[in-house]
Amino acid sequence: MSLTGRKAARYFIAIFLIITFNFAIPRSMPGDPLTNLLGEDVILSDSSVQELRSKMGLDKPLWQQYIEYWQSILRLDLGYSFHLHKPVSILLQDRMKWTLLLAGPALILGSALGAILGARAGWRSGSRREKVHTGILLAVYCTPPYFLSLISLYLFSFQLGLFPLKGLYSTGSAADIAHHLLLPAVMMTLFTLSRNYMIMRGSVLQEKSSLYAAFARAKGLYDEQILFRHIFRNALLPIITLLALDFGFILSGALFIEIVFSMNGMGSLIYDALLSRDYPVLQGSFLIITIMVVSANLLADLLYSRLDPRVKWE
Amino acid sequence: MRRSLYLLASLLLLCMLMLSTASMGAEEATGEVLKIGSPNVIKSASILGDSNMGVFAHLSNPTLMKMAADGTIKGLTAGSSEVSDDGKTWKFSIKDNLYWSDGEKLTPVDVQFTFNYLAENYPAAGWMKNTVDNISIQEDGTLVFSLNKPYSRLNLEFATYPILAKHIWESIDDPMEYTNEGENVGFGPFYIASTDLGAGVIYFKKNPYWKGTAPKFDSIEIHTFANMDVLSLALEKGDVDAYYKYAGTYPYSSIDKLKETGNFEFVEKDNIGLIFLGMNLMKEPMSDLSFRKAISYAINYSEILKLDALGYGKVPNAGFVPPSMMNFKETAKLEYNLTQAKGILDGAGYKDTNGNGILEGKDGKEIKLTFLTRTDYQRPTELMVDYLKAVGIDSEIKNVDSSTWIKQKDAGEYDLTITRSTPWGMLMHANWGTGYFDSRRTGEGVLHVLDDAKFHQLCDDILAATSEDQLKDYAYEVQDYYAENLPAIPLYWNLVETPYNKAFQGWYSDPLYGIFNVDSFLSVEKTQ
Amino acid sequence: MTDFCERLNEWKGNRLMPMIISKSGWLGLAFFSSFLLMAALSPVLAPYDPWYRFEPYLPPDELHLLGTNDLGQDILSELIFGSRASVIVGFGAALMSTAIGTAAGLVSGYFRGMADEIIMGITDIFLMIPQIPLIIVLAAFLRPSLWLVALLMGCLWWTSTARVVRSKALQIRETGYVQANRSLGFSSLHIMLSDVLPNITHVVMPKFLLSIASAMIAEASISFLGLGDPTMKSWGMMINFAFSRGGFLNGLWWWYMAPGLCITLFVLSVVLLGSMLEERESVSLRLQ
Repeated sequence: MSLTGRKAARYFIAIFLIITFNFAIPRSMPGDPLTNLLGEDVILSDSSVQELRSKMGLDKPLWQQYIEYWQSILRLDLGYSFHLHKPVSILLQDRMKWTLLLAGPALILGSALGAILGARAGWRSGSRREKVHTGILLAVYCTPPYFLSLISLYLFSFQLGLFPLKGLYSTGSAADIAHHLLLPAVMMTLFTLSRNYMIMRGSVLQEKSSLYAAFARAKGLYDEQILFRHIFRNALLPIITLLALDFGFILSGALFIEIVFSMNGMGSLIYDALLSRDYPVLQGSFLIITIMVVSANLLADLLYSRLDPRVKWE
Repeated sequence: MRRSLYLLASLLLLCMLMLSTASMGAEEATGEVLKIGSPNVIKSASILGDSNMGVFAHLSNPTLMKMAADGTIKGLTAGSSEVSDDGKTWKFSIKDNLYWSDGEKLTPVDVQFTFNYLAENYPAAGWMKNTVDNISIQEDGTLVFSLNKPYSRLNLEFATYPILAKHIWESIDDPMEYTNEGENVGFGPFYIASTDLGAGVIYFKKNPYWKGTAPKFDSIEIHTFANMDVLSLALEKGDVDAYYKYAGTYPYSSIDKLKETGNFEFVEKDNIGLIFLGMNLMKEPMSDLSFRKAISYAINYSEILKLDALGYGKVPNAGFVPPSMMNFKETAKLEYNLTQAKGILDGAGYKDTNGNGILEGKDGKEIKLTFLTRTDYQRPTELMVDYLKAVGIDSEIKNVDSSTWIKQKDAGEYDLTITRSTPWGMLMHANWGTGYFDSRRTGEGVLHVLDDAKFHQLCDDILAATSEDQLKDYAYEVQDYYAENLPAIPLYWNLVETPYNKAFQGWYSDPLYGIFNVDSFLSVEKTQ
Repeated sequence: MTDFCERLNEWKGNRLMPMIISKSGWLGLAFFSSFLLMAALSPVLAPYDPWYRFEPYLPPDELHLLGTNDLGQDILSELIFGSRASVIVGFGAALMSTAIGTAAGLVSGYFRGMADEIIMGITDIFLMIPQIPLIIVLAAFLRPSLWLVALLMGCLWWTSTARVVRSKALQIRETGYVQANRSLGFSSLHIMLSDVLPNITHVVMPKFLLSIASAMIAEASISFLGLGDPTMKSWGMMINFAFSRGGFLNGLWWWYMAPGLCITLFVLSVVLLGSMLEERESVSLRLQ
């Protein structure tokens, strides 16, 4: 089998298995979409409840539900949420745009800054300034996200009154949205930054003792030039990996920030769907995440060979 | 490089400061606004499909009847109600001065439509199909409900359903799935102008056609918060003027902070719901009455009251039903008496033969109970496990999420659990908490473990009662039954605390919906 | 202090290969061992039984150095016993995920071809398995003890280490000395262990340490969601109750800062240890 054939086969098998997991995992949790839907005063054996059950497709045998699940995916129909009373695709669009707005810039900025600062830290490892930076950023990384976010909310929004206390927006104008999103975005950037910083630093530490770096110095290049022209590209590989991994998870990873700042993003959508066993929403969200992660990984694979000529796209 | 980084950082800081000042004056205050903060988050703008939205919609679509502060049922949309002697015919007169926000008049036809429509399409009203034969309108506009059996609680049930406009809803086939984030026509003093899910706000505007007492506000905003701490901060800061939680109290641990500011007062009412220890009566040893009695002596009620409710409540009686409910009977108070507990257990045959501190059951095996707990009740569970250990009963905590809890308790896969009853939960089925225990009913929060013919008969009798005196007798019987048989052990009766900014006075609280009722919004005003 | 370190270094230097341990390295070691001691000797070190109830919400005083929580339990005792949970979960999960991840990444990056495809395919699948539903399932059918949680995390997180190790292995595979060794006929296993593995420690070490951090924070998050182990004291649960039972709003900062600081310090200590090891390496391959 040719290379592309092999890679394609691998991705297809992976996708098939993942989609099956998407189906199986929500159903492995006790309960179903009807469990938490109707409230304590509705007798579950009522006829109207049975009607609802069959509308949701829950009364069919499991294998039949599985087949219908595949059919709807191939039709690109993500289903309907009975908990949120909207088609899943609309829900996802709605929430995803906010999560992307919040997490996109945070991820990019955090990765970029983390890579740059981390590289310099690795290069100047041992210096006092580097130690201080590393110490501070590690402390940031170690703090539970809920904790740091709540404290910053308390400080900046409550005590100092600089930012609103909750929500995605109050009036809907661009400035208003930016105002609401700034603090959570800063929090996310900080977390991404600290993580990438540590990895990059380690990576540069490794690279700087290599021969090609010694050669560059022997050539007479200045520090900064060695760092950014030669080492950076190679040391960047783990960061690319992380970026690819993170990309899929920014959608679900901002859960705690969304809770603290009372924002309706993908994180809280998935979490609420988990608790209420909203199968269509869970399946739809996981599918989107799958697609994004798999394509991000594919991209990362392609980038490897371009960045480091030592790695052949063999 | 470094310098450019610092430049970037200072630019960002500058942006932050600019933005924070930019949006300061963005509030368009048109007239007097009342802002209520609530932790009951709205997930979709569906009056019938979202339970929290449904509660808030009672302001724009009031119910037929209402529960007054003293627990009696009075007319709200209805002027009066009466029931025939055999309990099978109910008559409601509809007020004549009610208008929809689009100018149409509210007529008995709307009410008739509402109940037929809900019976057909709303699961929580599905019971009507088995009870109500026919709804007709007399010449004078009185609505007549003809039932196929005597049903004493019809007017109570009608304190919970919003009245819908026929000319709007008759074209909507599936009301549970119908969402409307824009204007919702209503006939209350206010109508829903829009629902903003992203910002978490419901905007109510004054109903221009409202003919009753004029409210003192032009608009009302409900701000929902996913995070309770942030809601407390917002209340303190003045972003919202009052707090409301359906079937819930303001967290006791946050009360002192508000009191310290000196700007807040509290509406304090006795809750008709309560927190209790549920037992799986279908399994040994919980099926043994002596065992249950012993447990009731093993609980340190004053300590649980102090630690879980911070003293906002009182030690309950064995009769389960709190004094704030109608037809309350003073049964024996529950007592904490370790020696008594141990004595009962010993006398009932539970002994510790191997001296390891844990009793053995009648089958000779050590008693180790599965304690199913939800995340909200971890602390009281921890205390209970400790109390049980002190009398030699070992238990294992199973910490699960809400849906898992529902599934496992319905399957009977537990021995003990701590849960609570809501105000409506106490009133449903045959009233006085019967809805939680009757094994013939299964619903989300109910335990349905009491499979006793005597209890079932009592419930049926209550439902078929035809006079207030009959109901009173039955109510006393139920509470005596609870006290004697202890199907569940109440842990404490609590107070519902609802804080509001002192500047706003005139709140009116009913046992069912707290401060969120039409009368409250007609009387509250800003006095400072 | 510097004297002491120097003398210690001399002593060490005479016995093992030349090694300079910086001050921060010793600091890390000190913190790290004190946390381990705390975990091992909790019953001895804690002033009270962490489950025993006094008066609730007491501020720090001489009887209760960190005050009491909402049930009246002594916070300092809770803190000391809580170190056990963090040690178990942190190390358990990190060790497991790093071990599996490194092995998988090595095999995948070195051998490429079919093995690479299969292993990477498996990582793609594992990446998608979300953590929380599995924990809910765990909680429903078993008791969610800390060991199970650590195991679960280890089984789910090895993927990111694997990918990072793989990317490095891909690079190293093409270097001169590895090529040379391959042509000389050394077995793949030998090359992997003696040539590739030592050169990826710089990447694996930070991943390992960060995994400890992630594991502890994940445990705190799970406890915050209420799905933690209620029978064991843990720093995550302490923070959870501190927030949900009025610690935050009422300004009882000692209640939530203490466990938060402990998590931070514990991880910091591990990283300082790690940086000490890094410097040791770089001394022998010094560039500047």
